[in-house]
Amino acid sequence: MLIDWFTVIAQIINFLVLVYLLKRFLYGPIIMAMDERAKKIALSLEGARKKKDEANLEAKDYRRKNREIDEHREEMFSQIKEEADVRRKNLINEARNQVDAGRTKWYEAIRKEKESFLQDLRRRAGKHTCAISRRVLKDMANVDLEDHIIHIFIERLLSLNKDEIEALKKSIHQLPQKIRVRSAFEIPKKMAGKVIEVLRNQANGHVDVQFEVSPDIICGIELKFPGSKISWNMDDYLKTLEESFLAALENKAEKS
Amino acid sequence: MHITPDSLIIFQWGNVSLNATIFFTWCVMVLMVVGSWLITRKLSTETHLSRWQNLIEVLVTGMRDEIRDISGQDPGRYLSFVGTLFLFIAVSNLLGIIPGYVPPTGSFSTTAALALCVFVAIPIYGVSQKGLSYFKQYIEPSMFMLPFNIIGEISRTFAMAVRLFGNIMSGTIIAAILLSIAPLIFPVLMQVLGLLIGLIQAYIFAILAMVYIAAATRVQRPKEKAERQSEKGDLLNG
Repeated sequence: MLIDWFTVIAQIINFLVLVYLLKRFLYGPIIMAMDERAKKIALSLEGARKKKDEANLEAKDYRRKNREIDEHREEMFSQIKEEADVRRKNLINEARNQVDAGRTKWYEAIRKEKESFLQDLRRRAGKHTCAISRRVLKDMANVDLEDHIIHIFIERLLSLNKDEIEALKKSIHQLPQKIRVRSAFEIPKKMAGKVIEVLRNQANGHVDVQFEVSPDIICGIELKFPGSKISWNMDDYLKTLEESFLAALENKAEKS
Repeated sequence: MHITPDSLIIFQWGNVSLNATIFFTWCVMVLMVVGSWLITRKLSTETHLSRWQNLIEVLVTGMRDEIRDISGQDPGRYLSFVGTLFLFIAVSNLLGIIPGYVPPTGSFSTTAALALCVFVAIPIYGVSQKGLSYFKQYIEPSMFMLPFNIIGEISRTFAMAVRLFGNIMSGTIIAAILLSIAPLIFPVLMQVLGLLIGLIQAYIFAILAMVYIAAATRVQRPKEKAERQSEKGDLLNG
């Protein structure tokens, strides 16, 4: 007999047990793992798709921007060029102003230096001229320079014209203070007395005179009152010297 | 020489005897269950797989696809039954290459048991899918066809059992005969052929079972799919 019913029943049971065991240990876990993997792959694909979409959007955005830049390039270039020109002009003007300011300052400094130099020159020249004149007069005519200056001043006082005398009188009577006679040197009392006497004669009255030594006056003497001035000094001569010296200096500077 | 391993007694305890069919069936079962447990205890859900997991996934995916193709339905509820039929028969047959092993599928009792399982499973799946209206198909197109339909059911079940038994038993017998006649080289070729036949028979048995179940659970299918499946069934029935 080919068929054994006990074996058939046993095999049916064996098969059913095997179905259960394989479902428990094979199909269930494997299908679960495959489903899980499929889910993960789907998720990662979804993520990749989203990223691709984002990348596409960004690429589109960049392309649009590039197109806009291409379209506006000429306009931007001209605008930039214009701005650069304005900036350049501003910078040049600024530099020019700075140079001008520096030059003005420099000229001012030179002018001041020149003035200072000329003033010093005038003072020195006056001193030396005075000293030389004093010696020459002493040696040649045995005359004192200061006395001679005072004599010249007295002669000038004596040669005043009518208007000047009126002005002198007016100032003597109206001014509350004394009349000041300023000189570069100390006037001896004898000579001072002569000056006072001449002034009294010219003014026909009492005159209070105050003598002052002023270093501003170069080798000379002066009397100032409103509307007129009576003086003798070397200032005029020195001015001529100064002008001549200045002209020579500028001429030299131009040549160099 | 034993025609069937049922008559080959492995153990005997008094009146209780254990024949080779049941013994080797247990061996196959232990091998399959332990192997499955070993492979599936460390399953990876990442894209990097072990070789064994890969093999099992290929097998399971292949079976699922085949069931889906035949039934046109979700393969989940049929996989355990049909897949186990295929794997059990295939492993039983492939182990035939081991000397001393007797495939349990070479026993008519085993093939009859498997065919009976299919015979019972068909109405169970049919009823679970279509309810009691499943039984209407036995009286279609008329009441007179009921005996013929029942005979058809029984005969195809019997045919399944005999086909598998005949193929495997004949392979084993031929190998034994050839070993005695021409012990060199030729039996090896026959063994290789036997492996191929064993695998094909496992496929045929499982596919036929699935076709019968699909026919029982078929509700409304596209025309071409139904035609394709009946063609496939006819082809396998030979």
